[in-house]
Amino acid sequence: MPSTGDASDRGRQLAAAPLLTAVRQLAEREVFGLVWAGPDLIVDSTFGALARFVAIGEPLTDSVYALIGMEDDIRALKDFAGQAIELPDITLVMPESRRPRATLTISWSHDAAAFLLLIARTESRSELEIELTAQMRARFMAESELATKSRALERANADLESYASVISHDLQSPMRVLRYTLDELELAAGPASPEAQEKVGRLRELSQRMTKMLSALLDYASVTRMSDAIELVDTMALVHTVTSSIYVPPGIRLTMEGNWPRVRTMPAPLDLVLRNLIDNAVKHHDRATGRVTVSAVPENNAIVLTVADDGPGISPEHRAAVFLPFRTLGTSDTGSGQGMGLALVRRSVESIGGSITLESGAPGERGTTFTVRWPVAPVSGSDR
Amino acid sequence: MIARKVMLLGEIGVGKSSIVQRLVFDRFDMNYKPTIGVDVYRYEVPETATRPRMALIVWDTDGNFGEHIFRHVYMREASAAVIVGDVTRPRTLETLGNLADGFREALPGRTVSLVVNKLDLLQAEDEMVLPDRLQRPGLAFHRTSARTGQNIHNVFAETADAIDRRRL
Repeated sequence: MPSTGDASDRGRQLAAAPLLTAVRQLAEREVFGLVWAGPDLIVDSTFGALARFVAIGEPLTDSVYALIGMEDDIRALKDFAGQAIELPDITLVMPESRRPRATLTISWSHDAAAFLLLIARTESRSELEIELTAQMRARFMAESELATKSRALERANADLESYASVISHDLQSPMRVLRYTLDELELAAGPASPEAQEKVGRLRELSQRMTKMLSALLDYASVTRMSDAIELVDTMALVHTVTSSIYVPPGIRLTMEGNWPRVRTMPAPLDLVLRNLIDNAVKHHDRATGRVTVSAVPENNAIVLTVADDGPGISPEHRAAVFLPFRTLGTSDTGSGQGMGLALVRRSVESIGGSITLESGAPGERGTTFTVRWPVAPVSGSDR
Repeated sequence: MIARKVMLLGEIGVGKSSIVQRLVFDRFDMNYKPTIGVDVYRYEVPETATRPRMALIVWDTDGNFGEHIFRHVYMREASAAVIVGDVTRPRTLETLGNLADGFREALPGRTVSLVVNKLDLLQAEDEMVLPDRLQRPGLAFHRTSARTGQNIHNVFAETADAIDRRRL
């Protein structure tokens, strides 16, 4: 670097020409720009590409409108030598373009008898800030969307419960009247009319079936209301209670495997799920001998339950439908009856955020396995 | 033509930049670009029977400032604030109230407009859940959508009216 002065100079002093060349290059590369404005804040001159947008001969605030409102503060700088007003990270947005983000620093120059505005381009440290802010915003929006969908789901559940409850209650009353009328009809027909007696008997069966369906519908609609209190549940004791209350034909071997821990969960829906799955597996077995295996494997914040049998299996075209209300596979169903057992199971599982899957072999192959992932709350030290 | 400075405040992602883009350029960009520092816009509010034409210099601020904005040089000589919340994010409506209080404390006597934005995202059956402080009798706020343009110009026209009335 060319220098002036002899070697004894304490610091290097750059020659004017190279210095001015460097300054000019920086200005042309939009690293900084300079604006001079008179005491009346009318622009006298500009220097550098970054200041090219400032109109000469016009009020400074016409071009650099970020300074609007600060005119008195700027004029006061004349009386405070060495002081400046600095506005960091300003982006002037104009109809035709956005100016580069820059820090505006204005001060009074006694030498020039003018206000000097330095426009210094801000470093692009902000790329990381932009990315971080964008990610934060994405998270907020996702949370908001989740909250909106949760509210929609709550409304849908409430509507379903309300609708099903109204229907079942409103229909139970005429069903009762129907049964009473059938009783009277049976009396009026008397024993001398066997054909009439048979038909009345058939009508009574149908009305009883209808009543059970309405009751099952009410149970289905209200299953989410079971999900209230979380308790410490001994799952081994629970499954023993369930299996001891189910009739198991002598030839069917019902076994339990795995690790059945103490967990914090809602006992009523868990009981419903186990009871329906085990009862289904036993009742749908088509042979005099067979096996049903119930197992449990604890996972992180969940317990995975499986009910596996060596029964007739479920064909692929029926696997989705078995979870729908009032669907049977030709034999009478369990739980509330009338094809609601697995529908109740799925609704109970999903109401607490769990999942249920069904596996069965290819057509002609035997065996079915239901797998339930049942979320549980953490068990504290005092629970163990 | 007089020109006055208006601060646009609110949490990140509530739609401040979208509001001013709709106001000044009548456009809406679905791609989110966070504001760093402050973007400064110039918008001319048409004259009315009771008020002359006015240039509003709108300072669209970085939402990350939070309430620290009130100690920042950006606030210098602001005549008004338009404070924005997102109707789909209840927490931002709480912040809206806090920012209004902070602005009034930092710059007493200046006009404050409260805006609840993104009305287009509200489902018909949803109720707008407002925090208690926004339900005080007599407290007015604007419901807007930068996406559809609903009420955007009204907010700033009323801000200009208030600035003019108070001779700010």
